[in-house]
Amino acid sequence: MGDLGKPVEDGGLPAFSVFRENYGFVPRVFRAQAVLPRLLNAEAALANAILFRKTDLSRTEKELVALAEAAAAADPYGTALHYQTLRLLGMPAERLDSLLGNPDSEELPANLDTSLVRAWTAFVGTLAVGLNVRPDFPAPKVNRGALGAPPSCNLYRPKLDGSDDAAEFAFFREEFGIVPNLFRAQASWPEALQAEAQLISAVLIPEDVLSRLEKEKLILEVSGAANNEYAVALLSSLLEKRGVTAEECDQIAAGEGPAIDWGGFSEPQKVEATATAALAKFFVQLQIALGVEPDFEVRLISRASPQKNPNLLAEQSRPTAQDLVVDPDIQIVDAVRNGDVDAFEGLIDRHSRRVYRTLVGILGDPEEARDAMQDTFLKTFQHLGDFQGRSKVSTWIVSIATNTGIQRLRDRKPVESLDEAGDAQESFRPRQIRAWTDDPEQAYSKTERQRLVESSVMRLPAKYRVVLILRDIEQLSTEEAAAALGLAVPTLKSRLLRGRLMLRDALAPHFIARSSEVSH
Amino acid sequence: MISCADFMAEIGNYLEGDVAEEVRLQLESHLSHCAICQVVVDSSRKTIQIVTDSGSFDLPQPVLEPIAQQIMAKIRKEGS
Repeated sequence: MGDLGKPVEDGGLPAFSVFRENYGFVPRVFRAQAVLPRLLNAEAALANAILFRKTDLSRTEKELVALAEAAAAADPYGTALHYQTLRLLGMPAERLDSLLGNPDSEELPANLDTSLVRAWTAFVGTLAVGLNVRPDFPAPKVNRGALGAPPSCNLYRPKLDGSDDAAEFAFFREEFGIVPNLFRAQASWPEALQAEAQLISAVLIPEDVLSRLEKEKLILEVSGAANNEYAVALLSSLLEKRGVTAEECDQIAAGEGPAIDWGGFSEPQKVEATATAALAKFFVQLQIALGVEPDFEVRLISRASPQKNPNLLAEQSRPTAQDLVVDPDIQIVDAVRNGDVDAFEGLIDRHSRRVYRTLVGILGDPEEARDAMQDTFLKTFQHLGDFQGRSKVSTWIVSIATNTGIQRLRDRKPVESLDEAGDAQESFRPRQIRAWTDDPEQAYSKTERQRLVESSVMRLPAKYRVVLILRDIEQLSTEEAAAALGLAVPTLKSRLLRGRLMLRDALAPHFIARSSEVSH
Repeated sequence: MISCADFMAEIGNYLEGDVAEEVRLQLESHLSHCAICQVVVDSSRKTIQIVTDSGSFDLPQPVLEPIAQQIMAKIRKEGS
C-alpha cells in the first residue's frame, strides 16, 4: 500500500510497523498510545485478525463496511481514515460519496466478518474521542440529512457452536468462569478469539497503571451508558465475584457510581482508561451485531438522572439516525442559555403534549400528569446548561419527564414498578380469537373511539401503557422511546408487543365481526 | 413448518416489518393456513391503527395555556 501521509517518527514500535504496512502511515489514534506499547501490540493483532487480512471479504469490502459504520455513527475520525484508505485502494471518490449520501447504495453482507469490522470501527472511534485526536485527513462530506439508519446486522444470527472445553475458549473460561455466548458465537473464527483474548489481557490484566477493578467498573459504566443489557449482566456477575455488591453494580451501570477524575489522570492512565472504554465499546457493538443472548439474568439499567454523565467516555453511546439530523430545538436552547428566558415557552409549546402523554402513561392519572408536567419543564430549565447535544432535545426532555414520573410512582404506596425484573417470566397469550370487522373505525365516532382507547389504555399496567403511548400515540421511534425511558431496545419491543396484545384483547369485544368465530 | 408458538414469538417483529425476508416468507406460509394467527395479526394491526388515529390523551390548548403560563411565571421568577 502506498504512502498516505508524511513519514513520522514512531520510535520503532513493532505495532507501528503493522499499521504502517497496512495504512502506509501510523494513524494518530495509535501514535497517541505510544506510552503503553502493550495496548498497541494487542490492537495491531486485533486489526490484523479483523480488518487487514483477507477472509471471506477482501480488505476493500471490509473498509467499505467500516466507512459506512463510521459515517452512520457520526465518527469523523473513522470516516476520514476509511475514506482515504479506500481512495488509496482504488475506490472512485464518486462511489464513496454516493455511499456517504446513501448507505443503502452498497450491499453490505451481515455476517461474523462484518460484525467484527463494525466492532473494530466502534473501538477506534472511541479511542479517537477519548484520546482527543484530530482526523488524519480532512473528513469527507457526509450528507447527514440523507443518512439512514446504521446498516443493520439483524439478519445474521450465529450458531453457538463449540464445546466449552475447546482450546480456543480456555482464556475466556478462565477469566469469566464460563464461556460467554459472545465468544461461543465466534467459534468459527479462532484468530479473532485469540486476538480478543490478547486485547483483554493487555487492557485489563496489568495493574501497573489502573487497577483491574477500576477498569472493570469502567466497562460496566460504559455498558450501562450504552444500555447494553448483555454486557451489564456479564460485568455485574464478574464484579460480584470480586466482592462488589449487586447494588453498587446497579449504581455504576446507571451512571451513579463514584465519578472518575479524568482531570487528575496521568498520561498512561488516560490512555489506559480510554482503551478500556474502547474495549467495552468493541464488545457492546459486537453483541449488538451478533444479537447473542445474555449469559446471566438481565439487570435493570435505570439511569435515574439523564443529565448526569460522569465522564467523557461513558457518554459516547452510539448516535441513532435521528441524532444525525439537525435538531430544530437547538436554537431555542441556545437562546435561553444566552439569557432569552421567554424563548423557553417555545419548548413548552413544542413538547408539552409529548411530556403530558409520557406522564399519563407512567402515572395513569391525568391530573397528576399535568402537575408533574410543570415539574418536568422546571427541571428542564434548571438543567439546560447541562444539555450537551448527545441526544435530541425532545428525547432529553421526555427522559426528564420519565424520571419525574418514575419518582412520583416510587413515592406512591403501593408502588407500581416499571422495573424490568419479571419481564422475562411474564407470558401473554391472546385470548380473543374472533375475527374483527373489516372497517372497525367506522363502527364508532372519533370521540367514542378516543374514549374507548383512553379507558382501555389506562387499564394496562404502567410499564406497558407508557411504551404503547410513546410508540403508537406519540409516534416515537423504537430507539427514541427506549432512550427516553432508559430501556434496552429488546425490552422496549417486548413491552410494546405485550401492551398491544393486551389492548387488542380489551378492544376486541367492541370490534368483533358478527357471525365470526374461529375454532381452535 | 413453523408452529403457532413460533409465529407468536416473531409476531412483534412481523407487525413492525422487521423480519428477514426468509423469516417473513415462513411466517406468511404459516399464516396462509392458520386462521387463528390470521385473526391475531389482523386484529393487532387494526388495534394499532385505531390507537394511532385516536388522538388520545391530547392536551387541548385551553387546558395547556394556563399550565404553560404557570411554568413560565416560575421560570421568570427563577431566572430573575
